[in-house]
Amino acid sequence: MPQLDPAVFLPQIFWLIVVFAALYIFIARNAAPKIADVLKKRQDRIADDLTAAEQLQAKAEEARIAFEKAQADARNNAASIVLSKRDEIKADTEAALQKLSEELNAKIDDAQKRIDEAKSKALSDVRDVATDVCSEIVSQISGLKLDKKSIEKVVKAKTDAAMKGDA
Amino acid sequence: MAGPLEQFEIHSKVPIEVAGYDISITNSAVSLAIALVILMVFMLGGMRKAALVPGRWQSSVEMCYEFIAKMLGDTAGHEARQFFPFVFTLFMFILTANLMGMVPWLHLFTVTSHIAVTFALAFFIFIGVTILGFIKHGIGFLKFFVPGDAPLALLPLLVIIEIVSYLSRPISLSVRLFANMVAGHTMLQVFGGFVVSLAAAGGIFALGSVLPFAFIVALTGLELLVACLQAYVFAVLTCIYLNDALHMH
Repeated sequence: MPQLDPAVFLPQIFWLIVVFAALYIFIARNAAPKIADVLKKRQDRIADDLTAAEQLQAKAEEARIAFEKAQADARNNAASIVLSKRDEIKADTEAALQKLSEELNAKIDDAQKRIDEAKSKALSDVRDVATDVCSEIVSQISGLKLDKKSIEKVVKAKTDAAMKGDA
Repeated sequence: MAGPLEQFEIHSKVPIEVAGYDISITNSAVSLAIALVILMVFMLGGMRKAALVPGRWQSSVEMCYEFIAKMLGDTAGHEARQFFPFVFTLFMFILTANLMGMVPWLHLFTVTSHIAVTFALAFFIFIGVTILGFIKHGIGFLKFFVPGDAPLALLPLLVIIEIVSYLSRPISLSVRLFANMVAGHTMLQVFGGFVVSLAAAGGIFALGSVLPFAFIVALTGLELLVACLQAYVFAVLTCIYLNDALHMH
């Protein structure tokens, strides 16, 4: 076995020490710090990004809450506006109806008055005619010249009775 | 036809002798230098951009780093962080050396197939960890060899067992890696020899050479696994020894 020849020990160990020492110095001074630096930077960056993401998420949540509040306010506002407008319109309508019915009542009263006037006028005309007709008939039949006043009294009593009968 | 153990022979390329000591540049030293260059290229190349979002190459470098960092943290705790560069170097060096031996055609010398190399590494770790233990705990580190809840009658025996097991650490650590590498490479060489011999025999034997060839394919896969696994085992045990020195039992 060539490995057990003591003559080959020393040159191998010597060069092993040289190479291993060189490699160790290279790694300890150069490679390992460089790798550690990159890994650290990456970790920091990831942590930063995560923190930023969390902050943004909190902001978004805040905005959402504010939006929801605004929406609820607007809804309440709208409801109150609708309510007050409805009351207003109702009051307006009632007032208008009141006014209209007053006007209509006034008109009805007016009309009624005119009807009554026309009625009483017509009635007095009818009495006049009836009185004239009556005195004419009496004078024609009996030749009597009756007092106009007494005829009027009779006609008035008769028409009043007729009108009562009508009513 | 090369024998199965010839691949482990050391050839002097540039003979150097300093004060009577032989420090010739050998095929092993060349392989060591290549491993150094590969690792430097791997790490410098991977980290040349040091991008926030890594590419494939950078990811590979970072993966190795994080793998070892996690392993060291898990086994030896936070205090062991100062030894991270050493464990990282150790793991990457052994892994590279092991895998270099698995590259076909190039005939790269596998430095970890020599007990001198693995034992030098293991012995350095053993000494370093022991010194660390005494620095950390003073003379109290000797309590490491005294099991806490053992019956008094058994104590002398247990202390001897503890000391022997502690002293055998560098041996088990180095022989494990060395033996795994030698066994794998020898086996590949032996079965490679079967393929060549059977093919050379011709006729019906040539067809039979398919069998050892298929075995080599499977064995290559296994050896790749072993190469990674042994590098990992070496690094893990180093972490465990560090943990023992830092925190005792």
